[in-house]
Amino acid sequence: MKKRVSVVGLVVIVALAVVSLSSIASADEIKMVGVITKIDIAGKDAKTATVTLKDNKTEQSITLIVNDELTLDKFKDHRIVEGDEIRCKYEIRDGKNISTYFRKTAGC
Amino acid sequence: MKKAVIFLPLLASAFLVNPAMAKDHPGKEYIEKNGYQGPSTCEECHPDTAKKFLDTVHWKHASKVANVENIDPKQEYGMKNRIYTFCNGNDIVNNLKETPPNEKGKTKLTGCNTCHPGDPGDQLHGVGSSGPAAESSIDCLVCHSSDYDYSKRKPMKNEKGQVIMGQDRSVKAALAVGKPSVKNCMTCHETAGGGAYIKRGFVFTKENDVHAAKGMVCVDCHKTKDHKIPTGFDPNNWASDGSRLACADCHGNKPHKDAYINNHTARIACQTCHIPRTGGAFSKDFTTWTKMADGFYEPTTLKKEANETTPAYAWFNGTVANTPHFIGPKGSRKDKKSKIYPFKIYQAKAFYNKVNGQLLSMDFAQPMATGNTLAGVASAAKTLGIKKYEPVAGWQTIYFASSHLVTKTKAFSCENCHAPNGVLNFKALGYTDKEVIKLTNPSIFFTDFVKKQKEKEEW
Repeated sequence: MKKRVSVVGLVVIVALAVVSLSSIASADEIKMVGVITKIDIAGKDAKTATVTLKDNKTEQSITLIVNDELTLDKFKDHRIVEGDEIRCKYEIRDGKNISTYFRKTAGC
Repeated sequence: MKKAVIFLPLLASAFLVNPAMAKDHPGKEYIEKNGYQGPSTCEECHPDTAKKFLDTVHWKHASKVANVENIDPKQEYGMKNRIYTFCNGNDIVNNLKETPPNEKGKTKLTGCNTCHPGDPGDQLHGVGSSGPAAESSIDCLVCHSSDYDYSKRKPMKNEKGQVIMGQDRSVKAALAVGKPSVKNCMTCHETAGGGAYIKRGFVFTKENDVHAAKGMVCVDCHKTKDHKIPTGFDPNNWASDGSRLACADCHGNKPHKDAYINNHTARIACQTCHIPRTGGAFSKDFTTWTKMADGFYEPTTLKKEANETTPAYAWFNGTVANTPHFIGPKGSRKDKKSKIYPFKIYQAKAFYNKVNGQLLSMDFAQPMATGNTLAGVASAAKTLGIKKYEPVAGWQTIYFASSHLVTKTKAFSCENCHAPNGVLNFKALGYTDKEVIKLTNPSIFFTDFVKKQKEKEEW
């Protein structure tokens, strides 16, 4: 009985830790630099876009949701296109990567 | 005759057009019928415009400069040929070209006009070029179309292997012509200097500028005549189309309801209270470039977001001190033409010529590919015909005028400046100790402020 209680207690503690850690991760802003491999935007009136970037460091693909008007406008008129290198920040909200900063790295 | 046949119906249609169609460009039908061939199409209704455009700063990137010391007033200066540490290169040494291969064997098409294609041509004819070929290369639509496909405006090689800038000359873009929008201007101006908001550190959005919040666009203040665009005085920005603008052009010299605030306008520029923030790059190192993930290098840059930093304040009478290590405002309290203005202070490290103390220019192709900045100096020296030089690192300070990010609600109030350790360093600005004591005490605004506070509380 005592053993069962301690196992249940351990499970609860682990579960709480996971929940608490994931909520910390959700609140954190993640930074990355990567190259755009895909832009999905539905027409000129679109209020959101889904962009896939290949992380320069890890080479993993990350999909971001972009909602800010200025960046959406740059997708629409192709000032930002596939192949552009982007410096971005994003937050995880409801399991989605929401962009909070999205700029071309640009050089001289 | 042919032009008249085309022009008269277009003119008539411009006057007869019904209000619902008022936004349509009168040349819409002509373009739909004949397609868009570039400036020659525009000139059907706007004759001689292309030729005149070649005489503007947007084409030449230079003009004669009368307000800067230590330069030849008979010569033209601007991004075309200046050597200073915001860019360290210019259109001459950094014309569009292909870099040598980097360590990954990749090359880049690069040059000043890949960052800020301010010269709306195809670049094949060069900044400041003239003649029919130059006229026909102007990209009218990059400034005038609201439906421009910017993916076409990029450096590419033509069939002869020459590096040119592409253009969107589609009928779709041509049918969307009109007065330049904020986007048309900011496409180039927000990315000048190597990235978003780097150079001037401002954004022109409703959140950041009271004029933008009112729906104004750039050319509402920068009112253009024959493509000549007025600008304010800026220690860093030398070339001008000969016309100037100032806040007072619209707001007058007594813009406030309160006389005691209006008393400031004689010696305090509007910008000083109404532009309390600045941003962008505040330092660069051109002697050591930073390697990027793609294997190419960029000048090492320290930067802040637009609106993230505070300006410095100095007297400015519109003339500019210009030495190899300092470019900044001239003026003083004694000089009655001077006012106190806000500036973004920028400092950068670059190579100087030990032989004559002058700043050396840099071709970016070599350092961009390999990080070898001295190879860039050598290439630029060769282009400019400088045979005797010895590069040594040194620093230059530049004052940038701060003329955007205008705010009404967050403007400085009396207590921001008239307090010990306030925004303005009165002592450094030339005031005596006795005056500083007076200027930094509430007694000078107390009575008026009480009145104002009471008015606020009464509503």
